[in-house]
Amino acid sequence: MAGYHVVLVHFPTALWMTAALAILYRAFFDGPLAQSIDRALVPLLSIALVFGVSAYAVGLFVWPFEAITASPLGRNHMLLATWTTAYWALLLVLRWRRGQAIWQGSMRYVTAGLAAIGAVLLGITGTLGGHLIGVYTDVSQVLRRLGWEVYTTFYVPNTTLAVLGAISLLLVGIGLRARRA
Amino acid sequence: MGKTSLYASTILFGGALALSWFTHGTGVVVNDASKHVSIPQNLAVPLQVQAAYNGTDVYFRYRWPAPNPGIFHDMLRFSGGKWEVKGSVVPGSQPDGLHEDRVSMMLDDGSVPEFGRYGGYIAIGDKLAGFTEEADGKAIKDHPYLGKKLGLDEPTKYLPATRKNPNDWASTVPEGEQAKLQAAGYFLDLWHWRAARSNPVGVADDQFITAGRLSDSGRGMYTTNWDGDKKQPRVMFDAAKTGGIKALKWADITGGKVNPEGVHALREDISVPFDPNAGWQEGDTIPRRALRAAQGSRADIAVAGKATWADGYWEVTLKRKMNTEKPLEDKIIRDGGIYQAAFAIHRQATGGRWHYVSLPVSVGFGREADLVATPFTGDAPDWKQASLGVKLFYPGQVSWPHLNSVKHGGATSIARGIPVKSRHSEEQLAHYGIEAEFAGPIRSQWFLTLFAGLGLIAAFGWALLKSTPKSEA
Repeated sequence: MAGYHVVLVHFPTALWMTAALAILYRAFFDGPLAQSIDRALVPLLSIALVFGVSAYAVGLFVWPFEAITASPLGRNHMLLATWTTAYWALLLVLRWRRGQAIWQGSMRYVTAGLAAIGAVLLGITGTLGGHLIGVYTDVSQVLRRLGWEVYTTFYVPNTTLAVLGAISLLLVGIGLRARRA
Repeated sequence: MGKTSLYASTILFGGALALSWFTHGTGVVVNDASKHVSIPQNLAVPLQVQAAYNGTDVYFRYRWPAPNPGIFHDMLRFSGGKWEVKGSVVPGSQPDGLHEDRVSMMLDDGSVPEFGRYGGYIAIGDKLAGFTEEADGKAIKDHPYLGKKLGLDEPTKYLPATRKNPNDWASTVPEGEQAKLQAAGYFLDLWHWRAARSNPVGVADDQFITAGRLSDSGRGMYTTNWDGDKKQPRVMFDAAKTGGIKALKWADITGGKVNPEGVHALREDISVPFDPNAGWQEGDTIPRRALRAAQGSRADIAVAGKATWADGYWEVTLKRKMNTEKPLEDKIIRDGGIYQAAFAIHRQATGGRWHYVSLPVSVGFGREADLVATPFTGDAPDWKQASLGVKLFYPGQVSWPHLNSVKHGGATSIARGIPVKSRHSEEQLAHYGIEAEFAGPIRSQWFLTLFAGLGLIAAFGWALLKSTPKSEA
């Protein structure tokens, strides 16, 4: 399945990177080109998500589950792939459900920031996948310099998990309060 | 309201990302002696190697950094009116600095083909000594072949084909089969230089690995200096030959004040039978190993010149006959041949599996290889050729059964004979080795992190969605 996974991941990678550029362009420009790009965004993100989920599913069969979850690089690749897919799904839902509102006021810069983070997550996921098949970029060197040795599993301690849980609850609370307002 | 919620959500999400980044990788990897876990501070150590031969003898020269010369192994200290053993092996560095420095080399002539591809990993079998899950020494001793026949008393390295099931240390193939394997060259030669137990008598221990780590035939260079019945040493320093020294001082040993060039090893020529009435003082210390001249095949490997420690580096040259005429215990070196070697060192008072190891390298005699042995004429090489830099790394707890199991993604690559070097670097293997020591806890923490991140993204998405007013698409 490794070959199929490698072929498949090209699609979401290209589509999400294109989407990131489109979002960044739209965030800073309001002209006709930006409007046209924006109209293509939901279909673009939707197709990317379909390919992303497909590549993810096929990726699960490249190695036995015991193996991928026992390898530090395998775990990191899976973790980043999960977060990347979820993250871009968030962007799709946001644009689909809120339409032009995501380009209004300061929200447009939040959207641009989200796209930038999405592109970074995607880049890391790709380079980790490259490590697994022995073909990789120097992105891992950058990550090392920033404090993460990619040959070690990315995990956080229990205290951080608790804080993440609390922040997630706060975010849900903010959403509920905003809905009622 | 919408704007405030938007900013609050974004700040919280950004804060969560930052917190995750700055705290990742903590909280799980901690030393735990009860589980035989002690992670060294440095994961890699450089080793320089040279080789030379003159048609009769082969020389290997090793140079590696060691912060201090580890010239002592276990000792007997006089304390509270009785003798006590100090310096038994512990996970990691022995706190009193009592474990000798070593350099060792496994050598093969191609008869163990997996060795050239995976090096020492092939000899790390099921439940070896020092692993969190290690086989019981008594069970080894009681094993009809390993204990009763070979005399092993701890789970040592072994080669896969010596077991019916390589995942079970006890499943040895029948004795006749073992002999057949060995006769076919299915063993690894092991050159084992020990700073305390072999160097003072000018030799390296000559051993080999097959169904276990065994010593060549002949007499070993050290014995245990302990009389169990009388609970006292068997021999002590001969004061008449050591300038009045009958024992060393504990404080000098642990304080690093004993001169490596002076009296420190209990050699046969400077020892006498132990005298319990010699006026022993608190802190008097005698080596627990008495040294003697090795004999037979076990004495094949000599220290050429003198092993020296200076400026933080050991420099050791070993010499052996190319043809020892012991093809069942030694790999015979022939001009024109290519051999495989893997190196290891112990330093900073470590023993057992707390060493640094190399991936396999090829050694050529008149042939192109990673390490080309230089031919010379005369008695000693001039060592003018460049040395090969070998990266040694801490291997952690990674066994051959694990590498061939469903838990290793590369098991199919091993089955296809793809060498370890084409998939992994030494740095990667060092990190993987440590992760293997905490496999269960790291896996659990990683799962929790994955789901926590997923939950955070979902919650952030919800907050953004509800904080942003609906608009025309």
